[in-house]
This record gives sequence, structure tokens and C-alpha cells, in this order.
Amino acid sequence: MDCYSFDRIISDYIDANLNVKLRQEANEHISVCPRCKEKLSDLKSILSELSSLPCRETRPDFESRLMDRINQTKEQKESRFIRVFQDYSRPISVIAAVMLLVATSIFVYTSVVIPNSPGSIPSAEIRSVEPKKSMTMPATTAANVRSTLVSTTNESNHPDTNKVETPNYNKQIMMVNE
Amino acid sequence: MEREKIKYTDEELVKRFQDGDERAYIELVKRYKDRLLNFVYRYLNSFEQSEDVVQDTLMKLYTSAHMYREIAKFSTWIFTIAANLAKSELRRLKRRRVISIHSMGFDDKEYEIPSVDYDPAKETTSNYGEKQIQQAIDTLPDQFKTVIILREVQQLSYEEISQILGISIGTVKSRINRGRLRLQKLLKELKEQ
Repeated sequence: MDCYSFDRIISDYIDANLNVKLRQEANEHISVCPRCKEKLSDLKSILSELSSLPCRETRPDFESRLMDRINQTKEQKESRFIRVFQDYSRPISVIAAVMLLVATSIFVYTSVVIPNSPGSIPSAEIRSVEPKKSMTMPATTAANVRSTLVSTTNESNHPDTNKVETPNYNKQIMMVNE
Repeated sequence: MEREKIKYTDEELVKRFQDGDERAYIELVKRYKDRLLNFVYRYLNSFEQSEDVVQDTLMKLYTSAHMYREIAKFSTWIFTIAANLAKSELRRLKRRRVISIHSMGFDDKEYEIPSVDYDPAKETTSNYGEKQIQQAIDTLPDQFKTVIILREVQQLSYEEISQILGISIGTVKSRINRGRLRLQKLLKELKEQ
């Protein structure tokens, strides 16, 4: 082993990280090289000094200062939350009021203004209205009524009483005019 | 309280803090404040700034404890935070020193950047002394400085250093070897001056 090789393994030599063969080679080199021997001894003493450097300690108020900082951060967070809430509380309440108003209007409109709207009125009620509708349909004018009567008496086959037929208005008008 | 100190490991304390127990946080602060200070102090060579960095590190622990997962040792995690903050602070300090030197006039020829809080009373009675050793550490390139402090001052294992710095164990070994030799050379030069 030469000086350059010893320099490369000097840390491992100190930390006892070398295998038996390398350690033996290093020992042989130290025994014949006073420069490397001195270097090793000097480095060991430096490392020993480094590990025994006086320890610094934090000042006695270190913890209280730290806790003050933590509390300050907490307060800042809380005040930020309150500020955000204050900033947005007015628009939120306006939006809520508008939504409530719209919901109430929709409810009132569907239940009072449009009573026949789907879903709000039972289907049986619609059925009961239908016959009235069909009876009033032809009663538009006195002439129509008369013509209807004429056409029904002229017909040989009477329509089924349950069946409501739509009268042929054009034909009836022509007959009246004649 | 004494029983609690023995009872809980660092990792258990973080877990308790994550679950909302603030006493666990205070216990972690007590355990780590001086260890972190010694690491950061050797790195920055300024007591005031080092204490600030340790405060920032422990603040980060308070606000980001939920980020800790028990895949790494707690000590490794907290030292990683401290190392990153110390690096940023050192960069900031260097910038400030460069600016202050540039702003000097021709009359201010003799300028020295003194260690503000150097205490001669604490000088070691050895070959080199704390002042010279600290001066040599300050002169080391950053990549060697960090590994030397973590290994020689904090006595951390190669594996822990590798995790803290996010580099391979091989790189850690190589940096430690080169860093030690560089430190030795610097100390020799300082002694000869």
C-alpha cells in the first residue's frame, strides 16, 4: 500500500470498517511510513476534539418563546378564519335569503296559481271534467245546435250513448244554409 | 413525568402529538432543542441565528407533524428539517456578508467577519482549540461540512447521515473521508499562520 491508497482508506481505518486483509496492509504501511503514521495520529486527535467540543445550550426562555410563537400562529389562523367568515357572511346570507324566496315562490305558484299542474291534482278529478268538455264543445252558436239536431234525427243508426262523436261542422253549416 | 420520559420513544411521542397530545410535543422539544442547536451552531457559527433556526425547526415540527410517517427515525426527520433550514440561513448570511463587504469604502480596508458569540472562556485545552476548529469547519465546502458535523459532532451513523442528506452510504463514506482530510489540512494551515 502506498500513501495515496492509505489516504483513501484512512477514515475506514479509524472507524474500523476495513476487512482483515486491507487492515493488515494499512498496518504494514503505517509501520514503514512516518508521514502517514503522524497523519493518522493527528487526524484521530482532531476527531476526538471535534466530538468533545463544548455543547451549546438554548437560553432558558427558549421554550416560552417557542410557545409564544406557536400561540401567535394559532391566533393568526383563528383571526384569519374569523375575517374570512366576516367577509363572506353578508353575501352568504343574501344568497340564502334569495334562495328561500325563490323556493317559497315556486311552492306558492305550484300549489295555488296552477292547481291542475301535474302531480298536484289527482287523475280522477281530470276524468270527471272530461264529459263537461265534450258537451260544451258543439254549443258555439244557435245555428250549430240546430244543425246538430237535424243531422242526428236524419241518421238511421243512432250513435252509442256512451260514445261522444265530433260533429261534422262543415256539413251542418251547409245544411242550415240550404 | 420522569416515568413518561423513559416510557415513550421519539416515534411514540410524535404519534401521540399527531393524535392531539401537546405534552408529547413539549417533551420532543425538550429532547431535541440542544441537540439541534449544537448541530446548527457548528454549521452557522452564530448562536443567535442558530437558536432562530432551531425555533423554526421546532415550529415546523408543530405545524407539519402530520407529515411524519414512521418509515424513518424521528431524529433523521427532524435533522433533515434542521439541515435544510440551516443551509438556507447560511446562504442568506453569506449574501448579507458579501453585501456588507462590498458596501465598505476604501478606508475600511481591515475587515474581519467576527464570530459574534465566540466565548474565549470555552476554548478547549487541546492541540487546536474550539476557535480554530470552528474556523476550519466554516471554511469547509458545504458538502463536507454537513457530513463532518453530523458524523463527528452529532455522532450519527453513516446510514442516518445518508437518510438525512438523501445520498447513498457510499457517497457519505467518501465525503467523510475527504472532509476529514480537508479539515486536517485546514487546521494545519491555521496553526502555521
